[in-house]
Amino acid sequence: MKKKFVSMLLAAAMLTTALTACGGEGDSAPASDNGSDSASPSAQATPAPADNATAANDSDPAQSAYQLDRLVMVVDGNLSATLDNGQADFEKQWEEAVGVDLEIQQLDHSGYSDAVGRLFASGDYPDVMIMSADMFTQYLPTGLLWDMTEAYDNADFQSRMLLPGINEQLRTKGNGRLYGFSPTYGNGCVTYVKKAWVDALGINIDDIKTYDDYYAMLKRFHDEDPDGNGINGDTYGVVASGFIGNEAPFINYLPEFWQDAYPAFIQGDDGVWYDGFQADACKAALLRLQQAYKDGVIDPETLTATTKIAREKWFSNDQAGSSGVFTYWAGRWYQTLTDYFIKNDLDPELIQLPPIQEVGAYINREAPVWVILDDGDGDNAREQAIFDAFFETMMDGDVVQTLWTYGAEDVHWSIHAEEFVTNPDDPEKRKEYSYEEGEFHLRPTITNPNAMWAKNLFDPNLVVCELSNGYGAPSELLLNGSKFFSEHSKDAPMSPVSETYTNESGTIYDAKLAVITEVVINGGDVDAAMETYVQTVGSIVDQCLSELNG
Amino acid sequence: MKKNKHIMTSSGSAVREKPLGLRIWNNRGYYIMFLPVLLFVLVMNYWPMLGIRYSFYDYKPVGRPTFVGLAHFQKMFVTPAFWAAFKNTLQLSIMRLLITTFASVIISVFLNEMKNLFAKKTLQTVIYLPHFMSWAVVASIFSLLLSPSSTGMVNGWLKDLGLISRDQAGIYFLADSRWWRPIFYTINIWKETGWGTIIFLATLSGINPELYEAADIDGATRMQKIRYVTLPALANTILTVLILNLAKVMNMFEPVFVLYNNAVYDVSDVISTYVYRQTFAIALPNYGYSTAVGLFRSLVGGALVLICNQASKKVRGRGII
Repeated sequence: MKKKFVSMLLAAAMLTTALTACGGEGDSAPASDNGSDSASPSAQATPAPADNATAANDSDPAQSAYQLDRLVMVVDGNLSATLDNGQADFEKQWEEAVGVDLEIQQLDHSGYSDAVGRLFASGDYPDVMIMSADMFTQYLPTGLLWDMTEAYDNADFQSRMLLPGINEQLRTKGNGRLYGFSPTYGNGCVTYVKKAWVDALGINIDDIKTYDDYYAMLKRFHDEDPDGNGINGDTYGVVASGFIGNEAPFINYLPEFWQDAYPAFIQGDDGVWYDGFQADACKAALLRLQQAYKDGVIDPETLTATTKIAREKWFSNDQAGSSGVFTYWAGRWYQTLTDYFIKNDLDPELIQLPPIQEVGAYINREAPVWVILDDGDGDNAREQAIFDAFFETMMDGDVVQTLWTYGAEDVHWSIHAEEFVTNPDDPEKRKEYSYEEGEFHLRPTITNPNAMWAKNLFDPNLVVCELSNGYGAPSELLLNGSKFFSEHSKDAPMSPVSETYTNESGTIYDAKLAVITEVVINGGDVDAAMETYVQTVGSIVDQCLSELNG
Repeated sequence: MKKNKHIMTSSGSAVREKPLGLRIWNNRGYYIMFLPVLLFVLVMNYWPMLGIRYSFYDYKPVGRPTFVGLAHFQKMFVTPAFWAAFKNTLQLSIMRLLITTFASVIISVFLNEMKNLFAKKTLQTVIYLPHFMSWAVVASIFSLLLSPSSTGMVNGWLKDLGLISRDQAGIYFLADSRWWRPIFYTINIWKETGWGTIIFLATLSGINPELYEAADIDGATRMQKIRYVTLPALANTILTVLILNLAKVMNMFEPVFVLYNNAVYDVSDVISTYVYRQTFAIALPNYGYSTAVGLFRSLVGGALVLICNQASKKVRGRGII
């Protein structure tokens, strides 16, 4: 009897807890309260972007009087100055230059959007943060992002602006208002080919002009023995991290197979949005991938490989099971991949393959965007102060821009006379460096003294404002890579802004993966697979399209 | 008029029960010792239950939650992916439980029959070890072994044995719906069978040796002794293990999460991984929907616990809660 009574009591306690909780919505809402001076944006109090336009127009002189003492920044893995790689020095020099206390929260790169979601859900809002273009598009309608149109238009760095188009494109997403700032060009992927393999098979890379040429090369990489281990068929043509990317521009890791297809919502020439995944071009691309998978020219692990696994397979010191081709980021990664080849005792020469005819140009992804989080108090003073402290200095063309571009002075780079040696114990890789006083140079990486530091946050060749102190990137490969990409790229299509898409993008992506798996891996019929796709998410897709075209 | 409660003493005389407050005061030492536990349970187990309310709200990382009533449950019940995950959860968990329990019983009986103590101890140690490896490590090892590329060991063997043509692509065991579940069960057997034998070996060590001696006198063979002495002695333990574990079938996450991929969602996606993707695979997740799915899972799990409790009462004479 007593036991029953206790059980009843516990059950009643649980019920009361749940009911009490249900009734307490107002008190425990996840959005933080509007602190007087803290960076605690409340999206509730902030109108949607379109309505918010005038909020930032008020150029009240009192705004400039706001005293910003501390700035919390959230960033992903794009900041090379990690905790192990001299972040404390970077932070200290930034604080000395700007006069504001800086707190850097560097979140896991691969799970960045998840981590940001958790951060926001816990009411822990930073002042500024970086977002991928896709993420920016999804956060745009939330009212969380500060309208920086006037601040940007009146910024001092406008006089040094080299590439205004990137941020002008961002304006179109905000219906003419600017809710984020891209300090760099987006960059994209180019196709790298191992020169050693090309030479081993006697392939003339200049002859690779069309998809047929490209495919024939991949097939030879698989069927023959490009790694010279005496075994035919233990190598592959190309490896990638998935057949489709999980963020825009989706197709950049296998552009030769996707060609003119774009498996996402895309705007036609007439301005009407449609689902590119259901288009004929996409079906043709899936069939090309199906054939390539069947022929063994695509490493089968492409389906499940992460970027790290795909990368490491490509430059593994055991080349059996590796591939001849890898499409990866341009510019800095040209240098980094080469460094990995050297580290693993492989022939380091990589060829950047000009886009084949069917591809035309590689895709320059939408640039990552820095945003200021609006505290929703209706006063722009705090946000303007953040803009001045963060963005104005970021593009100052001098000390702070150098910090963002190359890192901390005398840690990541220096202008003082010095000498150092990389790979001192390896006669073949040993390299001596000697610099005179006043000569700008990068220094060895802290965590890997045998590799030279390449950049901090900005790729120097992608930045929108000129660095006026004359400090230039000394890496020839990086320069070459960036130049090659800019000559062979076109801008990615704009990401869609739709509430349903924001809510259901995961479901749609799962349905696309099911189609790709069925067609490419299982060799299924593409029309039947598309039919399943329509049955599964057709109504969601229609809803997204009606919102986009509405 | 309030009636005084009386309690019987050991001598059989009735005395009036002391008031609750006085009893607590008299036993204050015990209550103070109990207090940290109570606080821990309230804070760690009951306080998080407040989050249940979000299953009735649209709750995103940005903005205040909006009450949507049963909308998330309606969406959940018409979503095929949810039902696929629900079905997979039950199938994978129950099959895994049955297979690993069966394997544990077989291995236990085998170990029990071993006369060489050194060999027995060595074998026990070897089969316990996989249990201590994290699922992430296990997944990496098996991904390498089962890789479809030219470096995959199992596919290499199959080609050496002529079971797969050299020109043919290797079998993508972990990305093929026909293979994923058998592989999943095999990995589970490899990892957990050894650990599962502990409880059965303990039971076997408690069997009265006189039963075996009597069987010997009756001329029973080794197999007959296993059949008529060992297995009946294990029956109650087997049922207990099954019942206790049945209550946890809805909790499966890690083994699936580290081994599945988008090619095999149809046979591998369980409720926990479905919730994970709904929560963390999109930039602006709706935690309300994830909470609704989680609540449903908890309710089913709770119902299973009650069913198991009843089953336990019938089988063992006492419940598990």
